[in-house]
Amino acid sequence: MSDLLRILVSPAAWLACFSAIYGLSGIVCAAGPGAAVADGSGPRMVLVIAFLLAVLLQVGLLALVWSARFGAEPGLVRVVSRISAVTGLVATVWTLFPVLAASACL
Amino acid sequence: MTALARHRRLSAAWASGPGWKGWFSTVNHSDVGRMFLVTAFFYFLVGGILAMLIRAQLATPHSAFAGPGIYSQIFTMHGTIMMFLFAIPAIEGMAIYLLPKMLGTRDLAYPRLTAYGYWCYFFGGAMLLVSLLFGIAPDGGWFMYPPLTGRIHSPGINTDFWLIGITFVEISAICAAVEFTVSILKYRAPGMSLARMPIFAWYMLVVSLMILTGFPPLILGSILLELERAFGMPFFQVELGGDSLLWQHLFWLFGHPEVYIIFLPAAGVVSTVLPVMASTTLIGYRWVVAAAVALAILSFGLWVHHMFTTGIPHMGLAFFSAASTLVAVPTAVQVFAWIGTMWKGTPRLHLPMLHILGFFVTFVIGGLTGVMVAVVPFDWQVHDTAFVTAHLHYVLFGGFVFPILAGIYYWLPLASGRRRFFRLGNVAFALIFIGFHVTFLAMHWVGLMGQRRRISTYAPEDGWTAINLISSVGGFVLAFGLVIVLIEIVLHLVVPRRSRRNPWGAGTLEWAVPMPPPAYNFASLPRVTSREPLADDPDLGVRLARGEGYLGDARGGLRETLMVDIATGEPEQHVVYPANTRLPLVMAAVTGVFFLSLLLKLYWLTPLALAGVAVLGWRWVWQLGSDTDLGCQPVGHGLALASASETDRPPGWWGSAFLLVANATLFGSLLFGYAFLWTVAPGWPPAAFMEPSLLVLVAAPAGAALAVAGIALAVRRNRIGGDPTAALLAALAGALCLAGAFALLLAGAPHPTGHAYGATLWVLGCYGLVHALLVALMLAFLLARQRAGYVSRSRRAELAIVPVWTGYLAVVTALILAAVYLPGFAA
Repeated sequence: MSDLLRILVSPAAWLACFSAIYGLSGIVCAAGPGAAVADGSGPRMVLVIAFLLAVLLQVGLLALVWSARFGAEPGLVRVVSRISAVTGLVATVWTLFPVLAASACL
Repeated sequence: MTALARHRRLSAAWASGPGWKGWFSTVNHSDVGRMFLVTAFFYFLVGGILAMLIRAQLATPHSAFAGPGIYSQIFTMHGTIMMFLFAIPAIEGMAIYLLPKMLGTRDLAYPRLTAYGYWCYFFGGAMLLVSLLFGIAPDGGWFMYPPLTGRIHSPGINTDFWLIGITFVEISAICAAVEFTVSILKYRAPGMSLARMPIFAWYMLVVSLMILTGFPPLILGSILLELERAFGMPFFQVELGGDSLLWQHLFWLFGHPEVYIIFLPAAGVVSTVLPVMASTTLIGYRWVVAAAVALAILSFGLWVHHMFTTGIPHMGLAFFSAASTLVAVPTAVQVFAWIGTMWKGTPRLHLPMLHILGFFVTFVIGGLTGVMVAVVPFDWQVHDTAFVTAHLHYVLFGGFVFPILAGIYYWLPLASGRRRFFRLGNVAFALIFIGFHVTFLAMHWVGLMGQRRRISTYAPEDGWTAINLISSVGGFVLAFGLVIVLIEIVLHLVVPRRSRRNPWGAGTLEWAVPMPPPAYNFASLPRVTSREPLADDPDLGVRLARGEGYLGDARGGLRETLMVDIATGEPEQHVVYPANTRLPLVMAAVTGVFFLSLLLKLYWLTPLALAGVAVLGWRWVWQLGSDTDLGCQPVGHGLALASASETDRPPGWWGSAFLLVANATLFGSLLFGYAFLWTVAPGWPPAAFMEPSLLVLVAAPAGAALAVAGIALAVRRNRIGGDPTAALLAALAGALCLAGAFALLLAGAPHPTGHAYGATLWVLGCYGLVHALLVALMLAFLLARQRAGYVSRSRRAELAIVPVWTGYLAVVTALILAAVYLPGFAA
């Protein structure tokens, strides 16, 4: 099971962060009209901080999967888990980048 | 022992009953796989006829072929049948039939569950078919959006058939997913490490995990909508705190992964068949595995791209637009791996290869239009037009039907032991390919010209007449092609021309079994040292038939196999399967009575049916295990393994763990729905919160703690040779106390029809109550087994399973209490 965990952990973490930040954007917008113009304001910063934390988490998972201590033995699981970890990081940056650029509640 | 004597002994142990009566009691994976496939293709035929009716209707303007009411039933049932009664069951059937053979074992992990899943599918599908025959079929579109499907706008029984029938059928998918996951991880040939697994098994492992996490949101949505329709709980009624968008979220949380659940097994077929057709091995095996994993998980982050026109803020649109474009990358990795494989090898244009080429062309076009609709402004233009209908057919027909036809032609000689005689398949392929593209290229075009989906007619001045006529002609050409495939398969089965063994020169293990395969698959189980064992040792099949592998002595008429370590594939446990029984059929029938009682509003029957399921479930599990210690069992090659009933990780533990993954997803979806309504739906927060009950707040945690501690103590007492009865009784008391606490919570909850808040609390309370009663039933079962002598210090497997459920119950109890009372405290 630990091999499966190594393969799945990064993309699964992306999915959790992606869903959570989407939910967070909904909460921010539900908070009221003040949040509607969310650029440089508190609500925007909340989203940006969440985005940065998600990226940090992915970087940490990538380092773990790559490390000798927690990474898999040489072979299929090592290769696949490393590709998955890179996928998780790229997906986090690519899909959550809109928190830096898009209007939050319009 | 000679090979023939071994064959006779094994056949006596494994064969199903004689004649057609044997179908009702068989639990053998080859039988059940065939039954799944035949039933699924029957529904393909029905769905195809409905498609022809749609094309007949749209062929001319102002068509009087079918009225709008009937037409709504036709297109709803076409989509429903193709998605739920054809595509998924066809995948299940193919995997049920093939996986044990590919993995080098004798059956799937839970043979009776395989049969139960089939009968649930059979009865659930029959319910929908009956509704179609009586003209009361679902008519709200295959995704059943409320408020159209709420009881105000759809007061008849039509929608109920969909909600209840599909939920019944989905039991089958969940059963199969648990079955596949455990089988792929634990039931493989000795030595078959993860790196040596056939690529199809990797795909099915990924797909099974997707089903376990993708189907529960729809099951929950169906339960909530049926509760609204039957009892007035307003989950989707905006005036009472509900929100119809909640349905769209729950549906597409299932619906988008569903597309990949259908595509990925087909991609597994392509990855298996293509290298054989090209006389080489798959290029980038590890990248393909990684791409399948990435595609599976990314597909769960796309669901809102079906909702781009619902008024979601820009940031949300951008999230899902970005995710939708990203998913093209792992898809492309697979496509390039397949192209590279063809480049590396020498492709032979046999019939399976033709269908794979058809898949390439069609699926790549579907993928490109998928990227187009991932771009929000374009999606706004074509949303709910025929362009989207054409896109999804390119993806699903191209990504599923062509590969499945390739797979059928590829594995048909294995299943029948015969070779093709009449060469109708090439003509059929040409008709299918040309017919498909004429139909759906035209549909793209007419969609861009503004024709909406699901319209029953149009006017001549719309300018769509010629294109629709071309599309309809193409549709009938496609249908002729598929009929010829059917005719060829029937001819193949009735014309006895024996095929030689391994006719394609494949390297995977399914071709090492005799053709057609006997009920036991392998006379002895192989030791695997590479990914293509048959390529390394072409005589492997003969050596296994001689009994040179594991478990080759067919002892005592038992159905034996091995469980292995997940990573290395080294043998771990000796497993004895249950024999043929009608229990799965009876259990599915009683489950069907439960669903029918809900459909027909015969609520007095519902608890009786539930009690029947509980009694049969008790009997189901009682038949397992042993009342004497078995010790280590010799399995061949000087190896002796512990019996599965004498370990801490028996098959039931693994099944429970993965079933709880699906269960937890359902519960998580419920919490998501609660949070969604709270933050998005109008009319929240409710006028008054539920009053905290001190009794519930004390009894529930105390009951959960007692149950968890009791079962843990029972396991420990048994391990040291003590009597676990007192600890089990304490755990049972805890579970019953918890059930009482949930009953009290329900009694004090706001009325469930007044506001979505009360309705949600009611569902949360019922979820907790059902699970507390389930754990109580399991603990009572353990007590009975212990008293009957089935539990000992060695025979500890059953004691190992219940703590998994008890622990889960404790966690959901904490979450339910938090969800119910924290908002009130906070306010």
